[in-house]
Amino acid sequence: MLKIEGLTKRFGKLTAIDNLNLNIPEGLKFGLLGPNGSGKTTLLRMITGLIEPTHGKITLFGKWTPTSRMIRRRVGYMPQQTAVYPGLTVSENIRFFGRIYGLSGRPLEDRLNDILELVELGDKKKEVLSNLSGGMVRRVLLATALIHNPPLLILDEPTAGVDPVLRLKFWDWVDLLVKQGVSIIITTHHISEAERSDQVVFLREGKIIQQGKPFDIMKRFQANNLEAAFVRSTNLK
Amino acid sequence: MAIRWIALRIIQEIIRDRRTMAFFLLVPIVVMTLIYYALLEDEKAKLGVVTRGVARFYEYPLVSVIEEDEDIEIVSLDIPDKETDPAELDRLIMEEMKKGKAHGILYMDQQLLSERFAGERGAIHIYLEGSRPTSTAAIFSSIAEAMDDLTETMPVVIDAECSAKCANSVNIKAIEIKKHYLYGSEDYRLIDYFLPVFPTFFVFFFTFIISTITFQRERVRGTLERLLIAPVSFSQIILGYISGFIIFSSVQALIIIGYILALIQISFTPHQLFALGVTLFLIMIVALTMGLLASFMAMNEFQAIQFIPLVILPQIFLSDMIWRIESFPLVFQWISYGLPLTHANIISRKVMLQNQSLWENWPQLLSLGGFFLFFMLVMSLVALKRNKNN
Repeated sequence: MLKIEGLTKRFGKLTAIDNLNLNIPEGLKFGLLGPNGSGKTTLLRMITGLIEPTHGKITLFGKWTPTSRMIRRRVGYMPQQTAVYPGLTVSENIRFFGRIYGLSGRPLEDRLNDILELVELGDKKKEVLSNLSGGMVRRVLLATALIHNPPLLILDEPTAGVDPVLRLKFWDWVDLLVKQGVSIIITTHHISEAERSDQVVFLREGKIIQQGKPFDIMKRFQANNLEAAFVRSTNLK
Repeated sequence: MAIRWIALRIIQEIIRDRRTMAFFLLVPIVVMTLIYYALLEDEKAKLGVVTRGVARFYEYPLVSVIEEDEDIEIVSLDIPDKETDPAELDRLIMEEMKKGKAHGILYMDQQLLSERFAGERGAIHIYLEGSRPTSTAAIFSSIAEAMDDLTETMPVVIDAECSAKCANSVNIKAIEIKKHYLYGSEDYRLIDYFLPVFPTFFVFFFTFIISTITFQRERVRGTLERLLIAPVSFSQIILGYISGFIIFSSVQALIIIGYILALIQISFTPHQLFALGVTLFLIMIVALTMGLLASFMAMNEFQAIQFIPLVILPQIFLSDMIWRIESFPLVFQWISYGLPLTHANIISRKVMLQNQSLWENWPQLLSLGGFFLFFMLVMSLVALKRNKNN
């Protein structure tokens, strides 16, 4: 589904992503893990076509570029920022993004109701976002990324600043979406929560330092959680 | 101590933000320069003089007096000396003013002398361009003053047959001044000159500010990025913005136009109002793209706000809105043609005060269209560059 070959991104003298190669198959929960500044968001921004790589190639759904409209329709992106409109209601926000992705009429309304049910915001759909809590706004953000039913969902730190209960709920939703056939790339610096991923990659200073199933990596470093495995892996490098 | 640390933090932040530093230090100089030239106002009203028949003898003394007036500049005209037909002269005089060669033309012929000899007041004719009240007033007052001297140099006897008996009996009646207006009339007030440019300014001002802030907000909260990765093109985003703003700018323009129509003492045709509406639409889309560009070029909200005085103030001073652009040094006059509001103001005044058709102002319409395309192009290039570098 996603193939990255020799990808490098430089900002002046700083190399944010350094000759990265990665192959992510379809239908997985794929965790991109690493501390702040490890290059996770830069990598996601290149995958979504927001920024261009300095070198290298990204192939998404068999196409060479993520900037084509066909590809964009198939990707849902939930950024780190609360990138929604605080002056609009919950359903107005979700409907807006649905329309931007080409949905309209009955299909849009049906999908809107499904999504509201998924993120448990059905009773808040007429609330203006500025009246909602931070956690609820994060749910709206997820809903706007899902409205066009994308086969690939990219979640950039979806649980940052979220309370532990909602954090668990987020992962439950992720599990549910994967069961529905959605492929998910998720970044987080809460490394231990990514144990629920099918596969993970440890990033550090723009390079992959470990890759594999969470259990295998923990075993490799004789750690009883992913965070400990990450710390040990960075000590080795 | 806390005050000291807060002050130090402010100083450190501002020093590191070069654009803010430049703003603090350079903008006051630019604005003061503009104010200086605006208030200096040494532009003179251009006056042409046409004399025929024996009235030619009075041209030199009359011009000599008028030339002493600092507010008047005597200009030469392209009217053939041999042309004496009053109707043709009338047409040629109006033509010269339409071309902008003079703000006013003084015309005298032998009839003045004939009438004086007949014991009548006699008349001179002042043709006034009429759209600039300050020029009209300067010309009128200068000629009125010169008339006293002219009357004195015209000791015409009332009755030629009793010349011996009536040697001291001269015609001391004041010479009549007949005014002919190319545009406007005697009722035309100074405020009527300024009112037509208010709609263009307010639409430009508010659209620019609102679009700068709105787009900056879109960028800061990350929704712009989400639109950029959605299956929509950059031009669709911009056109969407324009469409959204049109409703509010149109309502605003209607309120402003309605209010101005209530204030102004000139009647307008539907065509004039339509032309003003087109002009307002054009200046609105130009202001919108300028606002979006300013927002795109700014790194943060503080820098975006700095663009507001940087863009608005020169347009207030240099767009011929209040101060005559001719009173500024040549370099500022060139700059003024690089400002969209200058072109919008030219159209508004010509359409509203001179009753010109919209299409007669095609160079200005083309300029406004050009500004829109130029800012769109620059914005696309900036967006492309950002896309490569960020």
